[in-house]
Amino acid sequence: MSIQELGADQQVQVEMITCVIDGFEITVPKGTLVIRAAEKLGIQIPRFCDHPLLAPAGACRQCLVDIEINGRAFPKPQASCTIPVENGMVVKTQLTSPVADKAQKGIMELLLINHPLDCPVCDKGGECPLQNQAMSNGRAESRFEGVKRTFEKPVAISSQVLLDRERCVLCARCTRFSEQIAGDPFITLNERGALQQVGIYEEEPFDSYYSGNTVQICPVGALTGTSYRFRARPFDLVSTNSACEHCASGCAMRTDVRRGKTLRRLAGEDAEVNEEWNCDKGRWAFKYEVAKNRIKNPMIRDSSGQLQEVSWPEALAEAANGLKNSRSGVLVGGRVTIEDAYGYSKFARVALNTNNIDFRARLHSQEELEFLATAKTNATYKDLDNADHVVLIGFEPEDESPIVFLRIYKQVHKRSIKVTSIAPYASRGSEKLKANLIKSASGSEVSAISALSGLTSKSVVLVGERISETEGGLSSIVKLASDTGAKLGWIPRRAGEKGAIAAGALPNLLPGNRLISNSSARVDIAAAWSVDSVPSEIGLSTEEMINSDLQALLIGGIDPMDISPEAKIKLAKKFIVSLEIRQSDITDIASVVLPVAPVVEKSGSFMDWQGKVRKFEAAVDQTLNRSDVRILSMLADEIGKPINLPTVNSARVEFESIGSWDGEVSTMKLVVGAGNKAINNDEAIISSWRNLLDKGSLQDGEENLAGTARKSKVVISQSRAKSLNVSDGDLVRVSNNYGAVTLACQISDIDESSIWLPRNSLNSQLIRNLGVVSNSVVKVAKA
Amino acid sequence: MAYTVEQVSIMDSIINRYPRKRSAIMPLLHFVQSIDGYVTNEGIELIGQKLELATAEVTAVSTFYTQYKSKPVGDYHVGICTNTLCAVMGGDAIFESIKEHLDIENDGVTNDGKVSVEHIECNAACDYAPVVMVNWEFYDNQTVQSTKDLVDAARAGNPPAPTRGPNKLRTWKENSAVLAGISDGLANEGVQAGEPTLLGLKKAKGGA
Repeated sequence: MSIQELGADQQVQVEMITCVIDGFEITVPKGTLVIRAAEKLGIQIPRFCDHPLLAPAGACRQCLVDIEINGRAFPKPQASCTIPVENGMVVKTQLTSPVADKAQKGIMELLLINHPLDCPVCDKGGECPLQNQAMSNGRAESRFEGVKRTFEKPVAISSQVLLDRERCVLCARCTRFSEQIAGDPFITLNERGALQQVGIYEEEPFDSYYSGNTVQICPVGALTGTSYRFRARPFDLVSTNSACEHCASGCAMRTDVRRGKTLRRLAGEDAEVNEEWNCDKGRWAFKYEVAKNRIKNPMIRDSSGQLQEVSWPEALAEAANGLKNSRSGVLVGGRVTIEDAYGYSKFARVALNTNNIDFRARLHSQEELEFLATAKTNATYKDLDNADHVVLIGFEPEDESPIVFLRIYKQVHKRSIKVTSIAPYASRGSEKLKANLIKSASGSEVSAISALSGLTSKSVVLVGERISETEGGLSSIVKLASDTGAKLGWIPRRAGEKGAIAAGALPNLLPGNRLISNSSARVDIAAAWSVDSVPSEIGLSTEEMINSDLQALLIGGIDPMDISPEAKIKLAKKFIVSLEIRQSDITDIASVVLPVAPVVEKSGSFMDWQGKVRKFEAAVDQTLNRSDVRILSMLADEIGKPINLPTVNSARVEFESIGSWDGEVSTMKLVVGAGNKAINNDEAIISSWRNLLDKGSLQDGEENLAGTARKSKVVISQSRAKSLNVSDGDLVRVSNNYGAVTLACQISDIDESSIWLPRNSLNSQLIRNLGVVSNSVVKVAKA
Repeated sequence: MAYTVEQVSIMDSIINRYPRKRSAIMPLLHFVQSIDGYVTNEGIELIGQKLELATAEVTAVSTFYTQYKSKPVGDYHVGICTNTLCAVMGGDAIFESIKEHLDIENDGVTNDGKVSVEHIECNAACDYAPVVMVNWEFYDNQTVQSTKDLVDAARAGNPPAPTRGPNKLRTWKENSAVLAGISDGLANEGVQAGEPTLLGLKKAKGGA
């Protein structure tokens, strides 16, 4: 007997089994499959359908081995991927059994009968399990002399995944992934016998947010990505381990580059984070970095108001002049690395002598600022694995943090754990999680949160950044977590937000969660930075800075339309220094533009929602690794108040050496929630979130991906549909004093006072179109 | 084609026969065929919705089983067994001659939409080989000529009664309803287990 560690607080006794494989004895936990036990001995049995994260299928039959148990032999070879080890089992693989070897060669010969010999033009050629194992475990020559079966090719099962049916070996990895892991059983094995093939229902393409994983786990070249098809050979690619910049899930990734150009990104392996999966946005949205409007050289605005390319010294001098003699602030943006955020944080305090710094390039509140500076968010993926109950508040994991969704879904699929969602209506993600929906209009979630019961220390409460739009929301969550002992996770949408908190890119916080209000924390940081003091006055938030009379702002990657419709106009009145990858609404109005590198061209690290650091190296070399922190360091030198962070590495080392605050902490000042809004019959309370695939700027330039985005719809209740006299799909107009949005409606079981629209999708960009995104009264009419 | 309230309530009653909804998928596919003549997309969508299955999953089942048709068949769907025993007893010849006679290929339908032909696998009636089925009713001990007469009569709208089975041949749609579990009350009509089927049993019991 031995002990297998499952969780920190939970150890379970597991029965151990001893068996013999190819003459070697091995002891493994009960339930281990023969193929897995063989792996532990370093014995590789060829396989196609077997995948450690999918339920066994025994579909391809490639892993046949000879087995006997207590002297009794199976009459014929068995699939080692479906049989668990037993005491007294003696397994002979192809290495020691001529029968197993012959059986494997026979299977391989059958699989190859209809498989085309198009390896030289197949995307998979060079990294193909079929190609490799045909060499290692197949016959050198086929005895098949007939005509190979052919199909029309390729079939687009979605705009981003193509299927070449004649290459398929029917292993069912893709169909099992879609059903067991993603919960999107939109591809299935259709037909039967010799005609069996992977297919979709003809009216419904494979529009899963996770479809790219099927391309990655396809053991042959049957499923290929539209964007990558015929673009490269694997042996021409240089691969770099990287981290995903799209959300706070924290996926490990692999970036494959050919001649300085990113050609594809794959899910990397990290059992504690994304296992082996990622979402389609992480996989395919990387073309923004080579977009036409990429900024290559520094620019300053000339007297005629045009941006002109200038040398670095000239641009830095201009920026320093504008910043140093004025009251200024820093808008960081939510997408920066920890190192860059640390650079911004130190730059604000040292070079600009201010605490006017905020990473929140989105709606935010004072209550949230308090929460971010003080709340203990301690939930992890592992807690989700062991949870008895997951509560989602202002958070749609499938859209806003897709790997968190997969982890919850895994437990729903495996253990039927309880999921509760506080939302206006049940999204497709909620339905897949079989979530118990507590219908709640945006702005009035507080009563639903306060009424939650039955949470234990094994429960996990996951909160999205959107809850800050509800007054009292975060306060009631903090209370809930402390009352019940449930684990709390705050999951922002953007990859850089957690790291920016740690780096102190907030007006009330210094690096390592040191409160500015705490004088010894300030002394601590001043010492670390070798400065006399750091400013003690709490700084301004993003919105306050935009609305204030500050004369100058240093701005990282933000989109003013994420904050308010007037933000750009207000910012245009200030002296703006913009650090940007591409031309944007901010560079439009900036006085100085300094180019920085996108993620694939620089090194750094992100902090995922658990607080785990996700380090990555530059995937494209021959670049200057122009991470923001390097530019900031040069700019600080120019200002005459150096921050001494000339490289990403120096920023990382310095930030790590500062460490987290272990002194006195304060608790959050709780805010009371507001009551429900009163509405008339023709009015509704607007609610929204961002769909995973939408008009987000990091998805620019990838049309195949955009093709699988969910259609923009306005969700209305049955009774509202009746009073508007509309049926499913009819156009409905949502308007307020600011503007209007007209979309096809979807009649659903939504909170009676609410309607829902996508926040930033095609024809529904709410801040731009309506000026509001949630918690506000709008008019609803038949269009 | 939208389904009537009555049809949908029959579907519900079929679903209610099973402890788990999804078990009803096969009778529901037959039921759709009893209305539309084949498995239409409307049918797939409604079944998916009723059983909480993805349309792709319904498609997987309906394409796996050959009794479910993805395109219309005739009012009289003729299945000719071409497995070993029937084939050597004349099934192959019947199949070839009927295709030529009707001027259609395997899985084809006559222009008038009356008759379609398919070669089928064993129907467990080898004792009556060669066997032809029309709308899954048995026509035993067939010849090329008898089968031609059978399809001609079916085209004319008055097919002979099955050798075993009910006293009158019902249409494809009518029999699809029976397969969906909706009784037509004819189950006890006609010969059940015939002489050749019972011969072995009789001998075993010491009979002549």
